[in-house]
Amino acid sequence: MKHVAEVDSQAETRVRMPTRRAMAKQQTRAKVLAAARELFSTEGYEGATIRDIAASAGMSTGAVFANFADKSELFREIMVFDMAAVLEAMNEAAARGRTVDDALLKAFGAGYTFYRGQIHLVRAALGLSWSCDTGPALRELPAMQDTVELFAEQLALGVQRGELSQECEIKLRSQMLFDSYLANYAHAVFGGWSLEALQARSRDQIRVILAGARRG
Amino acid sequence: MNSPQGKWLATGAHAGSPVNGKHFRTRRQSALGGKLNQRQTQKEATRRRVLDAARDLFETVGYEETTVREIATQAGVAVGSVFTCFASKAEVLSQVMLDRLEDLYAELDRITPHLRGSVVDRLSSIFALHYAFETRRTPLFLAHIAAAYSWRPGSDAVPYGRNPRLRGMIFDCIAEGRERGEVTQEADIALIVDTLMAAYAWNYRLAAWEQAGPDQMSAVLERQITLIAEGFRPSAAA
Repeated sequence: MKHVAEVDSQAETRVRMPTRRAMAKQQTRAKVLAAARELFSTEGYEGATIRDIAASAGMSTGAVFANFADKSELFREIMVFDMAAVLEAMNEAAARGRTVDDALLKAFGAGYTFYRGQIHLVRAALGLSWSCDTGPALRELPAMQDTVELFAEQLALGVQRGELSQECEIKLRSQMLFDSYLANYAHAVFGGWSLEALQARSRDQIRVILAGARRG
Repeated sequence: MNSPQGKWLATGAHAGSPVNGKHFRTRRQSALGGKLNQRQTQKEATRRRVLDAARDLFETVGYEETTVREIATQAGVAVGSVFTCFASKAEVLSQVMLDRLEDLYAELDRITPHLRGSVVDRLSSIFALHYAFETRRTPLFLAHIAAAYSWRPGSDAVPYGRNPRLRGMIFDCIAEGRERGEVTQEADIALIVDTLMAAYAWNYRLAAWEQAGPDQMSAVLERQITLIAEGFRPSAAA
């Protein structure tokens, strides 16, 4: 036991005082990620090359490859970061909801607000998630399932408050909410829908999906 | 590499634009009418050859693995000719997928008048036929969805999900259900169609991520349709 504690404290020291080299590496990664985000947002995934990303970050292509295996890893890093942030925003928004409809709508809205102005990034994420080589890694991000869970929690709260019936098939309904939530991004990508239009549509969709759950 | 392609792309879009086409005709029709028609026919033949070659290659070799150069070789046309008909490989795929749908809709036109049962049964059948059809070539279909999102604004291609014929069928099916009294008068049918289409489309993740077959996808969707139907059933009949 004593031995284990000693190892732990050593590890903690390492975390608190990273070596200069580790810090430099961290900074390089952050710089590359910032440049990549910028280029993915303006040029799209296909349009942004590693060469452009390196140039924009002020370093060589080799330096980028020393930190990231390929472009898809860069994109995945950005997605991991964004999806965690958006999930937090959606959770906070849902907590402010007074009814189940209101909570879900606020959560949808927080998601759409987060990605507003980053539509190329959304377009790339949706495209890559369906592609054979890059798809699996993106789809397996825990934030995807956590978003469905968020909707499920709100439905469960609705049941507790007596707004929804006990037999409202939370699992299936939360999945359908997620489907509609995602499908609306396609309207934003292809139809240029505004935030207001997305929210108006979401409100109606939530009503349709919950309609059957209110009876009984 | 980028600039010649960009040039082709611009040329293709220009020739395809109806405004330019009209302008061109009114100005020179009398002098060039015959030649123009001939050129039009030639272009149509090239287009056909490109589409046939692309369909074969996409199905045997795969979408990602096929290059525009290979499509041109197989079609027996110049690479440049491919780009005068289509702005990109994604656009070729879009047209191949649209053409394939003709078979599906011929089948559906035969079947839908004979559909019986409740709205849920009929809706489930229509969607199940779509799943059965698309999962015959799942990798190609998924490439089609993925490619849809790589299109740039201004492309002529039809984005995945804009399937007006399927939408129309689903709409009619629910509207008929309302006439039979199975659907409440207050139901917002367009909205219900929208919600069902979202569930239908995203169920393809079962094919993409879990290697599900059409039967499994149809079973999930049927449960989803049932769930939505609980919301639009008239209360008196419940």
